[in-house]
Amino acid sequence: MGLWAKFKNTTLYKSIYRNEYPDTPRNQVLVILNSLVLHLHPVKVPRRAVRVSYTWGLGGLSLLMFLILTVTGVWLMFYYVPAVPDAYLSMRALETDVIFGQFTRNLHRWAAHGMVLAVWLHMVRVFYTGAYKPPRDFNWVIGVILFTVTVLLSFTGYLLPWDQLAYWAIAVGSEMAGSTPVIGREARMALLGGHTIGQATLVRWYTLHVLLLPLACIALMAMHFWRVRKDGGISTPIPYEEDEAEARAEG
Amino acid sequence: MAEATEKYQQTGPKVRVNQKEELVYTWPYLVSIEAIMAIAMILALSLMATFVNAPLLELANPEKTPNPAKAPWYFLGLQELLLHMHPALAGVIVPTAALILLAMIPYIDRDPRGTGIWFSTRKGLPITIFSAVYTWIWEIVLILIDEFWVTTPAGTDTVLKGIEPHITYFLDKTFPFMTQPGWPGWSWVGKILLPAALMVTIPWVLAVIVKRRWKANTRELMIALFTFYFASFILLTIVGTAFRGHSMQLMWPWEVTAPH
Ligand code: HEM
Repeated sequence: MGLWAKFKNTTLYKSIYRNEYPDTPRNQVLVILNSLVLHLHPVKVPRRAVRVSYTWGLGGLSLLMFLILTVTGVWLMFYYVPAVPDAYLSMRALETDVIFGQFTRNLHRWAAHGMVLAVWLHMVRVFYTGAYKPPRDFNWVIGVILFTVTVLLSFTGYLLPWDQLAYWAIAVGSEMAGSTPVIGREARMALLGGHTIGQATLVRWYTLHVLLLPLACIALMAMHFWRVRKDGGISTPIPYEEDEAEARAEG
Repeated sequence: MAEATEKYQQTGPKVRVNQKEELVYTWPYLVSIEAIMAIAMILALSLMATFVNAPLLELANPEKTPNPAKAPWYFLGLQELLLHMHPALAGVIVPTAALILLAMIPYIDRDPRGTGIWFSTRKGLPITIFSAVYTWIWEIVLILIDEFWVTTPAGTDTVLKGIEPHITYFLDKTFPFMTQPGWPGWSWVGKILLPAALMVTIPWVLAVIVKRRWKANTRELMIALFTFYFASFILLTIVGTAFRGHSMQLMWPWEVTAPH
């Protein structure tokens, strides 16, 4: 018996994996039921719902980006100091003194842009396939909130390097918020934590970026995935009668 | 198979089609696709992170305004709007209204037919293409007018650039009492009234055309209006990103230099 086969016979292995490799129908069912991650799926899915050309996997890719951002973000937090001007210095140090520092920062940056793009394209696909229609109506609303949270996550992160790019992008953005009718001054104050962009703004946005918004995103994603299942799984075609009749006539 | 469906899909709608939905095992049919896509994405991002560095300019300096100062790319559509209208409209009201209207779509279009089909009906794709072209023509023409309509009224050295200054100048001349102290002046016509009216009328007219030309149902109307939003976002973001350079002037992408 090989070492691996022996290991698979141990109590330890069996306590972790409750079923054999999923190559029989029974184990294909069990692997979904027994695994925390896989049990987000149903055991079986409509063939038409798993076509790549239907969803383009964009919802899943949005989740993947979020996971990459969480891992790289925690790593960045080890080195990042949310203070003026230490924030900028810690970014410089990350690029020069920390092994894989530049790589991790790049990955975080590009995945952040990628997530905004993926979430937006996911919304576009859901719209053009009519997948927002009842009973998925409320999940679409959760989606719109998720989209907003995603953009806010990206925007709050934009300030953190405290370089010219960050500072002036946020200056432009908070200027827009300051022009809100009636409560413009208050909105700007709340965003900046003062009259100008400074230390208070940085701490505020840092807290939102690493704590509040990710938690909100996780909670909303949990609701979103739960509802995809409860709404009957990924949508499958419900044609109009006329089109159906035409399709049948054409054979 | 039928048993599995019933057991694991107790809630939710039953798919109502003339053919029975064919089910496949999640492992391996779905899990393998997910794994391949995830690996490909991680690879692509890692490659990019290896060869393209995230920007880091010099330390933030509130005294030194870069020209142009730009927001992140997904806000450049709004920043483009900012050039043409009142900031409250471009920066707050339009995005808020856009999000609320987006969220309302499924509460207006409640017919489940057309679910799960790209563009839903045979008219869906032609309507999408028409709506995008219609939107782009309007917006490109308006942007060009607002940029290149520059005149100097005879006998003055005032330079009027864009739609709003022309309207304001004309109304100030015609109704001079509004320019007296205590009066709001006339700039709101060009900064608020006209842009707001255009942003309502352009999609409105689109809806009317699509209704007449294609006898559109609710879903097809939604496709037209969503395409208006979608095409606007794309066009304004591209213009704001690639065609706005020094002092946010309109120029060709190769003339747009890095901010300084
Ligand atoms: C962080 C952001 C988001 C994540 C991680 C996410 C994830 C997912 C996933 C994994 C699915 C399964 C099907 C697929 O991949 O297409 C899905 C479906 C769905 N999503 Fe999202 N989503 C996000 C944002 C949105 C947004 C912005 C909208 C719309 C405004 C939306 C609306 C929906 C709807 C209606 C479905 C059901 C589609 C169907 O049954 O065909 N989601 N989402």
